Amino acid sequence: MLATLRSATLVGIDGRPVRVEVHVSTGLPAYHVVGLPDASGRESRERVRAALLSSDLPWPMQRITVNLAPGGLRKTGAGFELAVAIGLLVAGEALPYSVVTDLGVLGELGLDGSVRRVPGVLALVDALRRAGVRRVIVPLANAAEAALVDGVEICPARTLAELRACLEGEADWPAIPALPPPSPDRGDGADSEEPLDLADVRGLPTARLALAASAAGGHHLLLVGPPGTGKTMLARRLPTILPELTREAALEVTRIHSVAGHAPTHTLASTPPFRAPHHTASTAALVGGGSGRPSPGEVTLAHHGILFLDELGEFAPSTLDALRQPLEDGVVRIARQGMTLAFPARFVLVACTNPCPCGLGARACRCDRAQRSRYGRRLSAPLLDRFDLRLPVEPSELGEPPGVASAVTREQVMVAVERQRARLCGTSWSHNARIPAGALERFVPLSAAAAEAWLLLSGARELTGRGSARIRRVARTLADLDDRDEITATDLATAGVLRADITVS
Amino acid sequence: MSSRRVTAAAVLTGLPDITHARLRALLRRWPDPVDALDAVVRSATAGCFDPPVPAATRRDWRTFAADTRGTAAIGATVSARGTRALRAVDPTFPIDPELIPDHPAILLAEGKRYDALDAPRVAIVGTRAATPHGLDDARSLAADLVAEGVTVVSGLAIGIDAAAHQGALDAGGLTVGVVATGLDVEYPRRHRSLYAQVRASGLVLSESGFGIRPEPRRFPIRNRIIAALADVTVVVEATARGGARITAEHAMRYGRDVFAVPGSRRNPAAEGCNELIRDGAHPLLRNDDVLLRLGCTPGSRRRPTPAPVRLPVDGDAARVLAAFGGEPATPDQLAHHCALGVGAVALALCTLARDGWARSEGGHWWPT
Repeated sequence: MLATLRSATLVGIDGRPVRVEVHVSTGLPAYHVVGLPDASGRESRERVRAALLSSDLPWPMQRITVNLAPGGLRKTGAGFELAVAIGLLVAGEALPYSVVTDLGVLGELGLDGSVRRVPGVLALVDALRRAGVRRVIVPLANAAEAALVDGVEICPARTLAELRACLEGEADWPAIPALPPPSPDRGDGADSEEPLDLADVRGLPTARLALAASAAGGHHLLLVGPPGTGKTMLARRLPTILPELTREAALEVTRIHSVAGHAPTHTLASTPPFRAPHHTASTAALVGGGSGRPSPGEVTLAHHGILFLDELGEFAPSTLDALRQPLEDGVVRIARQGMTLAFPARFVLVACTNPCPCGLGARACRCDRAQRSRYGRRLSAPLLDRFDLRLPVEPSELGEPPGVASAVTREQVMVAVERQRARLCGTSWSHNARIPAGALERFVPLSAAAAEAWLLLSGARELTGRGSARIRRVARTLADLDDRDEITATDLATAGVLRADITVS
Repeated sequence: MSSRRVTAAAVLTGLPDITHARLRALLRRWPDPVDALDAVVRSATAGCFDPPVPAATRRDWRTFAADTRGTAAIGATVSARGTRALRAVDPTFPIDPELIPDHPAILLAEGKRYDALDAPRVAIVGTRAATPHGLDDARSLAADLVAEGVTVVSGLAIGIDAAAHQGALDAGGLTVGVVATGLDVEYPRRHRSLYAQVRASGLVLSESGFGIRPEPRRFPIRNRIIAALADVTVVVEATARGGARITAEHAMRYGRDVFAVPGSRRNPAAEGCNELIRDGAHPLLRNDDVLLRLGCTPGSRRRPTPAPVRLPVDGDAARVLAAFGGEPATPDQLAHHCALGVGAVALALCTLARDGWARSEGGHWWPT
């Protein structure tokens, strides 16, 4: 007796449809899973058996073969268990075959027969939809997330016994819980007892401006200064001024975080992610990969958001240089035997560093040349070049008034983002920072007066072509922040000052 | 000088535990390095040292000098590198042995421009941890000096030394680097290209044999050669206790003129210079002061270069310039002092940079 159900597995951050075939035949009682399952797939026997028995459902004392097709695709996770259990019910004639025709099933089983959540439901359901499946059973805990996919009927499952009853038509499907409202916490979530606010930081007008420009225009930002000047404090408050994600971006972010098994999996992400890995992070943790199933790294988790690297100079140099390719391409490609995975990684890099090991910098540094040059070598010139905004942060003077509150700056950022969206509507670039150099004349035209100032600035700073293009993009964002169409000489000069020629060492 | 003689000189400078005093004594007795080496091999050197050299050391010398494979290798190095040996007994030796009692007995030399030693020589020395101001001063002083036909002498170290060599090279002048290691060692390694440039436009000198590694004790001993070679020594930036102060003290001991560039007492890199001035060095107020001391008439051989024209500044730019107070600052600090917005300060800084009043380096803005 054979039953076939549809399910899906994760490859990278995408789902791939999988057929779960359950065959029950005469012979010595046995249970085999074939079709490249991983360890948790092979362990499914015990969970499926206990779940069926706990739910007062029959376990056929016959030879059971489970095949996961296509046979060449490596399957991961325990998400097929629910499909196997239903297949066994059908094969054992406890359920009519008709109720499972073209039914997608996702879910892991508990020994008590409960249906447990699986990671990456959004991507999995989407893959099933594309494969033509119109009805998917998902764990109740994943139902709200699964319902984000249009064009698929979502059937939430709480327990195996209840699921059987629902499939038989003896009971109603449980209601899909509503999407919880986005969490009001706009901080990084690490210790959000006190809501963060830019008003907490005194002084540092230039750094604030750079922060706003980074939030609005997607410019990479590097703050360099001695310890205790407020670099980290400022950067940690960046999420409080970020604009909300568009629906498409939110779906993509939710999908990635769901695959990675991170919170929030039960809600549509509305705020851009803010990832702050510690400086001991390995290259695989940062850009993705790792042994077994390649998993997305911090750069992918920061997709459409911020990757904040505090103490940039303490990261391993090889790890930092691995960032260069995703910074350029917005995608990380990871090659594994027989496949290449592409993880999206379009993030804004915000970094803080001390100017040298003692941290005192330009005037009062106590490090010797060797120490400083060792430290400086960690931040390669190509990496430093990718920051549109680089500025020194010195202790603010005593008696500075409290800074502008986040709410005010955020208004400004929203205005700039609106202008930017209108400008880049119909292009593939989301931010001013991503406008290619060749398109600058069209999207960032300069008036005659500004062009003159532009030449002045380029000459004064001996800028390279790439450096001056970066300054021009930042000037565009500065004018946007000020709700102006025209770029003035002041915008260009400010953009120039915001891209200080930092040389660490 | 025959290559055999140069090889003998190179072997002598490489003897274990040889000092400049011992080498002087050796060559006073046997002025020809070949004879001196022969005496070492024959162990006939016991009587010529005061204080006497321990017999064990002389045995080490003998082992070293009698090692024919080792000396052949040194000979090969000499001919491969085109090394020459300058002896204190030669009339062309650049240091007067009568005036400088602790002169080196042998200087190994490599480079293309031996005429660099014929010109008046000025040493420009200073700290390795120099500020952008200091580096700029060293470069401009070196450029002004070589324009008058002066040879710039320094130590090929990081910081002021490198800036002095580079300033001389960029201005197309001659420069001499005196190093504390063997000539084939090239320390610090990042200066390999600077070594090559100095060899092409001057000389690299050392009193140490091939293969001698950088050791802390060798640098102060080397500094006396810089002081002895130079008619005038200029200290651009020096920390309170650093090699540049030692060079200056040697120069004073030899009765040479010492100039020091005065600096702010807040600048740790100017502390040594200010102390030197207190102790009798001339404050270097203008680059021409050095030339006048050398007896050159400034401007005589220099192509007339118009003084850089700086447009006068006014308005915000003048306020920002005043806010520097001669010290480096960040835009935030300037904005705070002038009570101006970030945009206004940025525009003022760009104007100042265009007109040559300020420049940005290492993230800070410096008045020039």
